[in-house]
Amino acid sequence: MRSSGEITLIDYGAGNLASLEGALDRLGLPCRRAATPDQAALRGPIVLPGVGHFESAQKSLRERGWWLALPEFVAEGRPVLGICLGLQLLAEGSEEAPRASGLGLIPGIVRRLGPGVKVPHMGWSQVRQHHAHPALPDPHGGWLYFVHSYALEPSVETIYTADHGRPFAAIEARGNVMGFQPHPEKSGPAGLLLLQSALAWMGASVPAQAVPCN
Amino acid sequence: MPAKRIIPCLDVKQGRVVKGVQFKDLRDLGHPVDLARRYNAGGADEIVFLDIAASLENRGTRESWVREVARELSIPFTVGGGVSHVEEARSLLRAGADKVAVNTAAALRPALVSELADAFGRQCVVAAVDVKRDPDLEWRVFLKGGTEPTDRSALDWLWELNDLGAGEILLTSMDRDGTGEGFDVQLLDLASQLPIPLIASGGAGREIHFLEALEHGADAVLAATLFHEGILPIPRLKAYLAQNGLSIRI
Repeated sequence: MRSSGEITLIDYGAGNLASLEGALDRLGLPCRRAATPDQAALRGPIVLPGVGHFESAQKSLRERGWWLALPEFVAEGRPVLGICLGLQLLAEGSEEAPRASGLGLIPGIVRRLGPGVKVPHMGWSQVRQHHAHPALPDPHGGWLYFVHSYALEPSVETIYTADHGRPFAAIEARGNVMGFQPHPEKSGPAGLLLLQSALAWMGASVPAQAVPCN
Repeated sequence: MPAKRIIPCLDVKQGRVVKGVQFKDLRDLGHPVDLARRYNAGGADEIVFLDIAASLENRGTRESWVREVARELSIPFTVGGGVSHVEEARSLLRAGADKVAVNTAAALRPALVSELADAFGRQCVVAAVDVKRDPDLEWRVFLKGGTEPTDRSALDWLWELNDLGAGEILLTSMDRDGTGEGFDVQLLDLASQLPIPLIASGGAGREIHFLEALEHGADAVLAATLFHEGILPIPRLKAYLAQNGLSIRI
């Protein structure tokens, strides 16, 4: 078990945090937004959300100091969860921005989906578990919601995969770093369960009484 | 292939969900959050909210219910109605909408679609198109809630929307809308050649109509009255579609 704390949501202007905050609120998990690393909670998981373009997200994270701070947090043992583009940014790089690098906290390259399938991959897809993980329930062929045009190539260590024309990494976990390609906050009860299990394992503190998250 | 999606559509006026025929005799169905919560629990895969009386004055109202809906829903939702520039879309997305739908404003100024796609990614941009069969154009595009004909052929416009950066098409057959006679499957056959997802709307009356639309290339089906009136509960529809071999989230 890790030391518990408030969830830090990295706020770097890439996509809406409202839905994620709403989901955490309903789970009774307190969180705070942090535009820069000095605003992060002292303990507890750091969540890197994101929609949009790889390169512009990378640029905003650099400007706000997160690009250098995230690997340091990880080295100190802080748990980090990337969601959607957040997962892709944790990888080594992406075809979406061949000249920019990723954070390299999860091995592998993000590649464009297709050809032969509709892109973006938008909707509910079933995930398959390849390894057991203490933080992640067996999805039993559960459906999760995806919206993306690029995806991380799966490896032998990938925990869950999904398919869109070809298999891709849906959930990755490397030590204290985890990445979700689907949007757990948009994936109905299955997604909420996933979010809750992952964040609890990462040490999110569960208060006696739910605190609104703003 | 992702699951085929079932999408209820809610018309909103001044922060209330309403129902009427051709926007007349509006009946109050409740607050958007209450209906959203009900559909969230009832198996909807996504929800579309169309603000039918969008205006400058009620933007604040809209943002506040969008924010409330976002906090309650654990499925994606789209908001449309009078969105005509990037900043307006930004405020909706920031309030928690997953996608914005554009219709008339995009037809009047097609660059809007590329601006939205550049600013937020094409996955956030739903292009809504209302069409009617036509002797000259096969299907003609109509604007302003179907009241104003244009010179555009529907299929040309759909491909243009794809090129401009639309992430998804919400295609309504005005010929079928409200008839309950089934979707215009010929239109769906043609429109589903697009490389982006297609939501079919207009004409749903029975379970088999949804099956037909999805077998004719639609990625999602949208309906309003059937779901709101409880004539066809979504769980029953989904069970039927799954029994018929479609990939459905149950």
